[in-house]
Amino acid sequence: MLVVKDITKQFKQGDDTVTALNKLSFTVNDGEFVSIVGKSGAGKSTLLGILGALDTPTSGSIEIGNTDIAKLSDRKLISYRNTSIGFVFQSYNLIPNLTAVENVMLPMEFAHVPSQERRDRAIQLLEEVGITDGRERRKPGKLSGGEQQRVSIARALANHPKLILADEPTGNLDSENGKMIFNLLHTLSRSENTTVVVVTHDLDIAGKTDRTFALSDGKLVSKK
Amino acid sequence: MNIISRGIRNAFRNTVRSGSIIIILALSIGLVIAMLAARQAVQDKITSVKANTGNTITISPAGVRGFDGGGNPLTSDQLAKVAKINHVTKVVETLNDRLTSSSTSLKSGIDPGSLGKRNASNSGISEGPVMFRLDDSGSDGATAHTFTMPVTITGTNDESAIKTAGTTSLTWKGGKMFDTTADTNVAVVGTQIADKNNLSVGSIFTAYNTTFTVVGIYDAGNTFNNDRVYIPLPTLQKLSNQSSDITGATVMIDSSDNLTNVTNTIKSQLGSAADVTNSADVVAAITAPLESVASIALFSLIGAIIAGAIIILLTMIMVVRERRREIGVMKAIGASNLVIMWQFIVEAITLTLLALIVGTGIGVIAATPLTNALVSNDSTNSTDSGPSTTQMRGARRMMRFAGPGQLGQASQRAIETIQASVGGATLAKGAALALIIAILGSAAPSLMISKIKPADAMRNE
Repeated sequence: MLVVKDITKQFKQGDDTVTALNKLSFTVNDGEFVSIVGKSGAGKSTLLGILGALDTPTSGSIEIGNTDIAKLSDRKLISYRNTSIGFVFQSYNLIPNLTAVENVMLPMEFAHVPSQERRDRAIQLLEEVGITDGRERRKPGKLSGGEQQRVSIARALANHPKLILADEPTGNLDSENGKMIFNLLHTLSRSENTTVVVVTHDLDIAGKTDRTFALSDGKLVSKK
Repeated sequence: MNIISRGIRNAFRNTVRSGSIIIILALSIGLVIAMLAARQAVQDKITSVKANTGNTITISPAGVRGFDGGGNPLTSDQLAKVAKINHVTKVVETLNDRLTSSSTSLKSGIDPGSLGKRNASNSGISEGPVMFRLDDSGSDGATAHTFTMPVTITGTNDESAIKTAGTTSLTWKGGKMFDTTADTNVAVVGTQIADKNNLSVGSIFTAYNTTFTVVGIYDAGNTFNNDRVYIPLPTLQKLSNQSSDITGATVMIDSSDNLTNVTNTIKSQLGSAADVTNSADVVAAITAPLESVASIALFSLIGAIIAGAIIILLTMIMVVRERRREIGVMKAIGASNLVIMWQFIVEAITLTLLALIVGTGIGVIAATPLTNALVSNDSTNSTDSGPSTTQMRGARRMMRFAGPGQLGQASQRAIETIQASVGGATLAKGAALALIIAILGSAAPSLMISKIKPADAMRNE
């Protein structure tokens, strides 16, 4: 279970202090598929970064499976991000000079998974997301946007994470590919029993998730 | 796929840029290797000069120079003690004598000329009793009307006595040196006196009423030294009734670095009985410009290393800045700072090793020309710089005025014949320095990597 308690995030901007998140609290159950919606600047990506231990809150706590990640050491945070979280970025963020397989293998390498095992797992995941027929050996530049996002999802699932955080995963895709990616994410999260938090401004997509949180000016304005 | 293979592959992500960096870095590494080779060559030359040039100490009986002056000869016992001093490698002993017309069948190969006549006249020889060999054309047989130059005979215990008598090169025109330790009636003669007396190997002549066989004819490269006769030291000591007497000795030591110490030891051992001289100042003047070149090579080497490190540093800073988001992504998916740093260090090392390969070629080609340029430039600057400047000027002046002797020409050779070569040791040092360049150049970018937050993976979108 993901428990967020009174999360606040403030940034210094010159002499001013900007509050990006203002005392947010919510809970997400294991295996739940939730969305966070809001306008640009509402604090969606900041929240996602804090949930994924990419950033730290100014105050508050985030508990995942009884672990307060705000209190983890840097070393444990690295391990936590590697094994417990899977990221799906809007711009895919694949390493450009690695092939699709190598990109998927990367988190497993950091987790010290044996070479052959990680290759087998990467190929299996790529098959599940539909990257086959030699495309798994292509570099990102030789794949379409939809294909790159599928590789990104495969990479996010590589280490069997408890939580997948997706930041506008369909933002750079046309509607057809967007739906395909959303469905894929949905299906895989169900099959792997993974909690998914998706940040999106597409209300159609948000409507298909188990629950939706709406953010405005760093505050949670509604929960559905 | 692991850190190493990713680092290597990253080095080729932008082939044009990587190629340019490799070429620029190769020039720097080439200079490093060339300077290493130059420095090594100059240091080898300095060692060689110190071991072979000016590493001699001359001992003469007090008050005596050649046949001038007076005093008592040295003894074999005195010189035996000198031979035991540390760093002394050899003591070449000589006993010189002049043969008169009554004591040898030989005639000098040198025409007296006006100088010889003046010297003889100033010595009262033309008027006095015969000391030099005379062509007795007068009726009384005691007054010189014409004369030839005396024949100098030298007893020695070592072949190098011929070289140390102011000779730069020694060529055997026939036969060879005699056994210097045996008391035998054999001799080697210079080409000048051999031609004058129609001597060849196997010829005989008389001296001290004794018949000598010529066993070798040498060419010492100058007229004066080619007009001499050398016989075994014990033979001359016996025939000239100078048992154990020595009129000159040349002490050879292992390195001119020890010249002053050994000279002082000899002086303290022999006391007022001998005049002990060396050429320490000349050696210092010869090696000083070489030391200067070695210093220039060292500074250039350090400069090239710094330049190389800066090239790789700027390159890696640029690369890290470019890949900021990628680094953030790697951190977001679980890479530690150390893993990412190593990946970039491997990338820097890959570029540096490729540059090392190209740079080695450049270094091999440039080593000798650069060394010669350094040496000749240093020489030119010194020669042109006026009378009160560098030591190089002193060295060249020494060379100029040292005359045809061993020291002068050896000095000139020391400065002018430096051959730099890139050997295994130089390459190993070059590779080690290239590695240092890569690590130094990666240090700051590594620090930058550690400061990049994983959240940058999202912020830069």
